[in-house]
Amino acid sequence: MALLNRMDWYNLARTTNWTPAYVTEDELFPPELSGGFGLPATAWEGYDEPYKQTYPEYVKVQREKDAGAYSVKAALERSQIFENADPGWKSVMKAHYGAIARGEYAAASAEARMMRFSKAPGMRNMATLGCMDEIRHGQIQLFFPHEHVSKDRQMDWAYKAYDTNEWAMIAARHFFDDIMMTRDAISVSIMLTFSFETGFTNMQFLGLAADAAEAGDHTFANLISSIQTDESRHAQIGGPALKVLIENGLKDEAQKRVDIAVWTAWKLFSVLTGPIMDYYTPLEHRKQSFKEFMEEWIVAQFERALTDLGLDLPWYWDKFIADLNDTHHGMHMGVYYWRPTVWWNPAAGVTPEERNWLEQKYPGWNDTWGKCWDVIIDNVVDGNMALTFPETLPMVCNMCQLPIIGTPGNGWNVQDYPLEYNGRLYHFGSDVDRWVFQQDPARYAGHLNVVDRFLAGMIQPMDLSGALQYMNIAPGECGDDAHNYAWAETYRAMRELKLAS
Amino acid sequence: MSTHKAGSAYHNNLVGPVMRAGDLAMAVIEAARIDNPGKQVTVDDKRAYIRIHTEQEMILREETIAEELGRPFHINDLEVDLSSFAGQIESQPGAVRFYFQKTV
Ligand SMILES: [Fe+2]
Ligand SMILES: [Fe+2]
Repeated sequence: MALLNRMDWYNLARTTNWTPAYVTEDELFPPELSGGFGLPATAWEGYDEPYKQTYPEYVKVQREKDAGAYSVKAALERSQIFENADPGWKSVMKAHYGAIARGEYAAASAEARMMRFSKAPGMRNMATLGCMDEIRHGQIQLFFPHEHVSKDRQMDWAYKAYDTNEWAMIAARHFFDDIMMTRDAISVSIMLTFSFETGFTNMQFLGLAADAAEAGDHTFANLISSIQTDESRHAQIGGPALKVLIENGLKDEAQKRVDIAVWTAWKLFSVLTGPIMDYYTPLEHRKQSFKEFMEEWIVAQFERALTDLGLDLPWYWDKFIADLNDTHHGMHMGVYYWRPTVWWNPAAGVTPEERNWLEQKYPGWNDTWGKCWDVIIDNVVDGNMALTFPETLPMVCNMCQLPIIGTPGNGWNVQDYPLEYNGRLYHFGSDVDRWVFQQDPARYAGHLNVVDRFLAGMIQPMDLSGALQYMNIAPGECGDDAHNYAWAETYRAMRELKLAS
Repeated sequence: MSTHKAGSAYHNNLVGPVMRAGDLAMAVIEAARIDNPGKQVTVDDKRAYIRIHTEQEMILREETIAEELGRPFHINDLEVDLSSFAGQIESQPGAVRFYFQKTV
């Protein structure tokens, strides 16, 4: 039987808007869920999805993708890749699965909101496939780590992380709740699919796949790059929505959503992806630095696409570019310092060879971050382990929920950006975080960051044991140095050599 | 890399697919050369993914890819290994087009 060419029936098949006779348009598409931006359904019928896929094609292609991913896993299951992996690489996997897997599952609900409530028929089509994509991403990224749970308790956080009040998870939830769980369909298409998925997921799922392939972890490389083939399709949901908004004189509304999502995504990935690429991944397997991956995926690819659609660079562009040299180094040091409060074992990543690499990729590293590490290294070599852990609380940003950091040493620029709102004093890590808050203060004002909660007495007893309990970190799950401080031996030997001479 | 260079990396007009490594990626490289005559095709192999780019516009046709693969191929099967792409995308009958509207 001859099949019609897809293009001969596609346009007709997606023409699924009708004029409601029994309810009003606002009842069919409640504005708070649909995000009509004051535009009638007819304005959204001009939405033309650029990446077209039909349901039968989808089923065929997805079947092929899954067959590939699962067969690579099955073929390599007995190769002991996990058992033989560098402890730093295991931490990469633990951080990734915990922060990502259940967020993917939640993203299915964001896609479902576009599927039901968008006034654009083409968006409803693409989001139907996108919703199934995200269910796949949730399931497959729980299934793959599961075989390791019996070998390593921290792997259990692939499932558990989102149910806890672990501080990094509070930050992850705050971000995903903001851009995808509590926004109307059109805002989700702009903030989740366009801003986050065409930008940052590429860096996490392809940049990290490049490192994984170098590290010989082909199961992981194959899995996450396969996931990204779904993302590259459904990430296109946002582009045509931006075009509709711009054509209807709503560019400022679109730009504001992009600027908010890009900044808050950047902050989350500076703590998630920055340390794993530049410190945890074994030096010989680092394909590029975090900054180089950011330049490739976010600056050269994403920002170029953004300007092509008629938007402007975010107003904070210069600060963002400058921060590519700094923020994640501070996040890494914070995570390492507070290592009992994460579900992976941070690798210090500061052997002399690694420091040379850091200095080469980030000129000035030794004069700034290196100076703090000199102190930590001395304490480890001297056996003063208590001094390598914190005694005070960090300042935590009321927007990104992450420590307020700046550059130490010769580059000192640490600063709080406070704001008083309705009698409460808020603290922010940058003027951009504060700007995001000011765009919709009522939306964010009620949230307590982890230190606010501590000071409010919600964490008892008010010490590390109380904090671990509050964060659901069971014994055997607490993070510690990935290599059990073996890297410090080089420094011990260097010191003995110096004493002897 | 200097900060200046980092901030201006969006000054490029490169478009085209970012493919997972494999025989489809190899066929796409050849098809990019055949379907875009007179254009320089740049290939940047990152092992887990391969950037296949041209300036401003790239067309990939399903019959060209099928020929290079030596087996039947439908253009929507490209998605199996299409991890990402630079530029805007346009689905066409039997082809896919990557492009930028503006030139910087
Ligand atoms: Fe996903
Ligand atoms: Fe997605």
